[in-house]
Amino acid sequence: MSVSAIEHRAALGGKAPLISTGVTLRTLPEGHVLHLLSASADSDVSATISAVLGCDALTKRSVSPGQWFVVGDEPLSAAALADIVKKVKPHAEVVDQSHGRVRIAIAGAKATSVLAKGTAADLALNVFPVGHATTTLIGHIATHITRVSEDGFELMVLRGFAESLWEELAELSVEFR
Amino acid sequence: MASLIPCPHCGQRPREEFTVKGAALVRPAADAGRNAWLDYVYLRDNPRGRYDEHWHHTSGCRRWLVVTRDTATHEIEGARDTAARTETVE
Ligand SMILES: [Zn+2]
Repeated sequence: MSVSAIEHRAALGGKAPLISTGVTLRTLPEGHVLHLLSASADSDVSATISAVLGCDALTKRSVSPGQWFVVGDEPLSAAALADIVKKVKPHAEVVDQSHGRVRIAIAGAKATSVLAKGTAADLALNVFPVGHATTTLIGHIATHITRVSEDGFELMVLRGFAESLWEELAELSVEFR
Repeated sequence: MASLIPCPHCGQRPREEFTVKGAALVRPAADAGRNAWLDYVYLRDNPRGRYDEHWHHTSGCRRWLVVTRDTATHEIEGARDTAARTETVE
């Protein structure tokens, strides 16, 4: 039997940041993405999970009623993951999606304008404030969007779509370079 | 127009984000007769006007909704989560 080590290769490994005055695209570290699923969509369940994990709206992001993504730049050790599962278990199931979902940061004065060309979701700051998250289509790619600052978003996609989304965003932002 | 669906969780979204499953009918009781189940599974009225349909927000929150739509004008009257729907068996 041959033995080979599993080598981690970032889905967007070779992509250098695209930086311009209007908009900047950056790949984010493939740290961790945990999908939390609760049978209950009650807001107190959400608050309880945030409390036991000690995390804010930028770390634990809304997906749909009773579902959240917990994200971070650092990979989780097996022990750290087990600890989170233990804390969350009474309230929700935890599915490790760190290998399956990839994050891209888009920021700048024209970030909203770039995204608005790809999605019909309303990204206006008053209806989509910092910490708000939703899933929508960007072109043909289902993308989870989180507003992380007034002019910055994080986009999360299934790994296999990451490169397509990156290339699409690069094209959509050409006019703002 | 039926192109924007007001998802109760996500707000106004284009229909491209959804999958339409068809008429939202009241499910017969488990022990209902053969004819009641045959009607429920296969027979549709195709009405002109107000119509309740199951729509899945596939590329959004992935929740099943009941969308009330006018089949003649495509006007959307509203959408609600199927979990919020209270059914009464006829
Ligand atoms: Zn939705």
